[in-house]
Amino acid sequence: MLKNRVTNLLLANEKRSLYRFLILYIVMMIGIISLISIYYYQYQKQLMMLNKRVILSDYASEQARKIKSLHFLFPEQNIYPRDSRFVSAIYDLEYQKIFSLLKSNEINFDRELYITKDKKIHFIKSFDDYYLGAKYLILEIDDDELWLHNTWQNIIIYGGFAIFIFSIIGFFLLNLFLSPMKTSLNIMDRFIKDTTHELNTPLSAILTNIEMMDLDAINEDNRKKINRINIAAKTVSVLYNDLTYITLENDIYKSNEKINLKNIIEERVEYFDILARSKEISFTLDLNDSFLVVNKNKFTRVIDNLISNAIKYNKRKGHINIKLFENSFTVEDLGIGIEPDKIRYIFDRYSRFNSSEGGFGIGLSIVKNIIDEYGMQIVVKSKINEGTSITITW
Amino acid sequence: MVRYIFIFMIFFSSSLSSDIYSQKCVGCHRDMPYSLQEIFMKYLLAYGGENNVKAGMLHYFIYPSKDISVMPKGFLDEKGIMDHGYIGKENLQRSIDRYWELYKVKGRLK
Repeated sequence: MLKNRVTNLLLANEKRSLYRFLILYIVMMIGIISLISIYYYQYQKQLMMLNKRVILSDYASEQARKIKSLHFLFPEQNIYPRDSRFVSAIYDLEYQKIFSLLKSNEINFDRELYITKDKKIHFIKSFDDYYLGAKYLILEIDDDELWLHNTWQNIIIYGGFAIFIFSIIGFFLLNLFLSPMKTSLNIMDRFIKDTTHELNTPLSAILTNIEMMDLDAINEDNRKKINRINIAAKTVSVLYNDLTYITLENDIYKSNEKINLKNIIEERVEYFDILARSKEISFTLDLNDSFLVVNKNKFTRVIDNLISNAIKYNKRKGHINIKLFENSFTVEDLGIGIEPDKIRYIFDRYSRFNSSEGGFGIGLSIVKNIIDEYGMQIVVKSKINEGTSITITW
Repeated sequence: MVRYIFIFMIFFSSSLSSDIYSQKCVGCHRDMPYSLQEIFMKYLLAYGGENNVKAGMLHYFIYPSKDISVMPKGFLDEKGIMDHGYIGKENLQRSIDRYWELYKVKGRLK
C-alpha cells in the first residue's frame, strides 16, 4: 500500500514561525497572569491592611486613654501600660523616643500603617495633646503572613487553572493557524505523488531505449540529439527517484546491506558523466575502499543528489573533486557557492536559492534526512563564486 | 592639667545652674498649690518635645502673660501671674535645662 510520508511534516521556516508565535503567546500569557497576580496581591495586601487598621485603631484608642491617665498620675505611677495583644512606644514631636517596647526599630513617621522588613505591622497614632510629652503612639503586632500564604495559594491555583485554559485555547489557535499550511502541503504532496506515479513508465521506456540504441549506426548530428535526450532523461530520472523516495514508502528503501561506497560512487559518476560533459565539467576522484551497512538505494540518493548539485551549480568548464576515505565522503565543486546566511537553510525542504536551475528543492532535504537516519554528520563549507564543499562523516 | 580645668568648669557650671535653680525657683514654688512636677507636666502637655517645652518656658519667663500661661484659668484669676524676677537670659536657660533634667519623663517610665 502506498502511503504519503510527508503529509504531517511542516517546513522548517513555518515551524520557526510557529515557535515564534508560541513564544509570543506564552510570554503574553505569563505577562497577563503576572499582571493579574500583582494586582490581586496588592488588593489582598490593602484588604489586610484595612482590616488591621480597624483593629489597631481600636487598640490605639485604648492605649491612648491609658497614657492619658498615666500622664496625670506621673511620677507616682511610672509603669508604662502594656497589652498582650500588641507592644507600643511613644515618641515626642521631635521624633525622640520617650519609651518603647517595640521589637522593630524601623519606624516610618510618614505613614500611618506599614509592614517592616522584619515582618511587623506598625500603626502610628498621632496625639493632639502631648500626654507624657508624646506626639506619636506606635503600635506593633506580628504579621502572621496568613494573608500572604492564602494569596499565594490562590495565585498558584487560579494562575495554574488560567495557564491550563490559555494552553487549551493556544492549542486550538495553533491548529487553526496550521490548518491552511497542512492543507497546502497535502495538496503539494498529493500532486507530487500522482505526478511521480505517472512518470515511471515513460521515463523507463526512454532510458532503456537510449541504452539499447546503437549510436554508431546513426550520424553525428542525430547522435548529439540522442545524447541531449539521454541527459534530459537522466536529470528527470534523478528527480523521479527523489520524489519516489520522499513521497512513497517503497520496499526498495527498507533493507540494509554491507556495501562498498567506492563502487557505488564510481557507478554514479559514470552515470552523471554525460551530464557533466554537457557543461564540460571534469571529475577528480580520490576514492578509497569504505564499507558501510546501509540501504544501497538510500545512499545512492545521497550520492546522486550531491553529484547532481555539484554539476548543476558548477561553472562551465568547472571541476568536481570527490574524495572517499574510510570514515568520510566529500564532494567539492568550483561553482557559484552559497551565501553564508543561507547555508543553515539549504536542508529545508522546497528551499531553492537559485531560480535559474530547475528542481523542487528537495535534494538536500533528502540527503539530510538519510544522513540523520544513519546518525552521520554533514558539514557544508561554501564561498560565493569559489565553490561548495559538502562532507559526510560517520 | 587642661583636663582638670575642664572637669572643674563643668562641675562649676553645673553647680552654678543648680544653685540658681534652687535659689530662684524651688524656694518660691515651695508654697504654691501646684508642685514643680505638676507644672512641668502641664508644660509637657502643652508643648511636647524638649526643645519646644524649653522654648515655651523661656518665652513665658521673658514675656509672662495669662494668655500663654499653661496654668488653669481659675488659678491665674486667683493668684495672678507670678513675678519671677530678672535673673538674666543665660541663668534662665540654665535653670530651665536643670528643670527639664529633673522632671522629664524620658528615662523614668518602666
